[in-house]
Amino acid sequence: MDTLSYLSQGFGVALSPNNLITALSGTLIGTVVGLLPGLGPINGVALLIPVAFALGLPPETALILLASVYLGCEYGGRISSILLNIPGEASAVMTTLDGYPLARQGKGGIALSISAWSSFIGGLIATLGVVAFAPLLAQWAVSFGPAEYFMLMVFAIVCLAGMAGNKPVKTAVAVVIGLLLSCIGIDANSGVYRFTFGSLGLADGIQFVVLVLGLFSVSEILMLLERTHHGQAAAKASGRMLFNFKEGASVFATNIRSGLTGFIFGILPGAGATLASAVSYMSEKRLAGPKGNFGNGDLRGLAAPETANSASACGSMVPMLTLGIPGSGTTAVMLGALTLYNITPGPLLFQNQPDIVWGLIASLFVANVILIIMNVPMIKVFTRILAVPNWALVPAIAIITSIGVYAVHATTFDLFLMVAIGVFGYVLRKLDFPLSALLLGFILGGMMESNLRRALSISNGDLAILWSSPITLALWALVALMVALPFWRGYRARKARQVLADAANA
Amino acid sequence: MYHRLFAACLLLVSACLAWIAWGYHAPFSYEPVGPRAYPLLLLGLLAAGALLIVCKPTLERGADEKTLPAPAVLGKVGLCLLLLLAMAALFELLGFIVTSSLFALAMCRLFGGRWLHGAILAVVLGIGLYLLFDRILDVPLPLGVLAGLEF
Repeated sequence: MDTLSYLSQGFGVALSPNNLITALSGTLIGTVVGLLPGLGPINGVALLIPVAFALGLPPETALILLASVYLGCEYGGRISSILLNIPGEASAVMTTLDGYPLARQGKGGIALSISAWSSFIGGLIATLGVVAFAPLLAQWAVSFGPAEYFMLMVFAIVCLAGMAGNKPVKTAVAVVIGLLLSCIGIDANSGVYRFTFGSLGLADGIQFVVLVLGLFSVSEILMLLERTHHGQAAAKASGRMLFNFKEGASVFATNIRSGLTGFIFGILPGAGATLASAVSYMSEKRLAGPKGNFGNGDLRGLAAPETANSASACGSMVPMLTLGIPGSGTTAVMLGALTLYNITPGPLLFQNQPDIVWGLIASLFVANVILIIMNVPMIKVFTRILAVPNWALVPAIAIITSIGVYAVHATTFDLFLMVAIGVFGYVLRKLDFPLSALLLGFILGGMMESNLRRALSISNGDLAILWSSPITLALWALVALMVALPFWRGYRARKARQVLADAANA
Repeated sequence: MYHRLFAACLLLVSACLAWIAWGYHAPFSYEPVGPRAYPLLLLGLLAAGALLIVCKPTLERGADEKTLPAPAVLGKVGLCLLLLLAMAALFELLGFIVTSSLFALAMCRLFGGRWLHGAILAVVLGIGLYLLFDRILDVPLPLGVLAGLEF
């Protein structure tokens, strides 16, 4: 068993004192970041990249830091969903449905610990999935040429739009904007300056930390202006802090099912945690039938989205590590971090840098364990943080964001650029364009173009190379399927409305 | 309404960019695809998407038709942007500590804090974050006018 020996090697990396401390502080920072309004996993991870760089952390430690911040953020988001009924991000909406009622019933401590437990199980299932599938996929992906990669990215993007539910066009437009933004700067192949408008600051393109922080942090600060709140009184996490055996056993089957669902959705590019948590909540609700107490504080209704959520968070590491194609906004940021370290994720990563890959996978285990242990003694402190008023919070977020942006290049040009991007992001948000789609487009853009041009160089300009191998043909079929999906959904919705209208008329 | 307006802007921008991109060509090239094709392809896609929204803005509604935020909120947003721009402009000129202290005070007022709160926040954030990032986390920050003090 190669995998097992690699995994133990990974644990060796993850459990080294330095990395353990990194994971511990990462989860702590992540939890706080996830708790605060205006900061989510995407900006949390992006903010730490310059810091990790400045501290001179070796790549595996930096990745462990980012991954543990990611998991910590997911956990922190849970606290505000359950105790405040404020979902930090889209994927946490389902958590509020049963989590908040539980907190109102004075079972906040139980709800939090069971959600931590659920996400631990979800993370565990998905991490096992990563261990099982990632090497296989990586082996298979070695045979991918540039044409296959290009098609794979086209599939990822189409998947994003097709899965986006009610707004495929807006998602597609957002992705294309992201792809276009990635064209800015010197063209690597020909040395031509594209869309720089004579500005030196844009010559090597928009730095992705600047893009991420402008898009997410600055726009969020502007959004916060609309809400005038002075800190929230959270529902108290009183009573028992830990669930008992009976409660744990009652959600175990839910955990397993939702974990598998979450993992599968996590692997699919673009689908991610939001869809995974919604699907698993709905299917658990249907499974429970009328006996369930869903919506009024059913533990299963809390466990299902939480398990799926973290399973898909870990699952999305699979396409990132093996193919170099991120499955979610946050993994897109991590991918960006890897490229800063001059590490190209992809199938060869497993052969060339097993320490990084397996260290990261093992640290997912470790971070999950740390989070569940931290929950019990620290929850009182965390709930206190929720009461920080906006007038103290927002200036701090804004200044820290500026530091993060300034740290990349040490130029004030980036600060201006960040503000400009922030305004753009604010407008997009106001008009319901999904920002994470834009970010994914931005990250994929460069790779997409270089793979396309490489493929066409091989074929000497003949476009037929894009549909001449079985893999590309299969990907075309998948793309067609994904393009058809929104149309089919629209057709079904129309038909359902027709039936309703007919029934009303009859 | 605003969707349509925004999409029309996108259309206009993509046309302008396409006009600019048309001029990109490599003086000598080793590959069949120049630097021009890919951006043009994307601009085409963007224009198509924008056109779809212009023609059928009701095709997909997020949270239904948006109205402009209240004038008071818009004013605040404008003010906040001015503050952010001022921070960007002064960041190196005055140095991190002075700029961020002033910025924290102004932002605190903007978000409804009291003068006293703002003053405390300014001192804590300005000096605290400088020490945290510059001294502990090794992220170099400009000292600006305080460079003479060098503590």
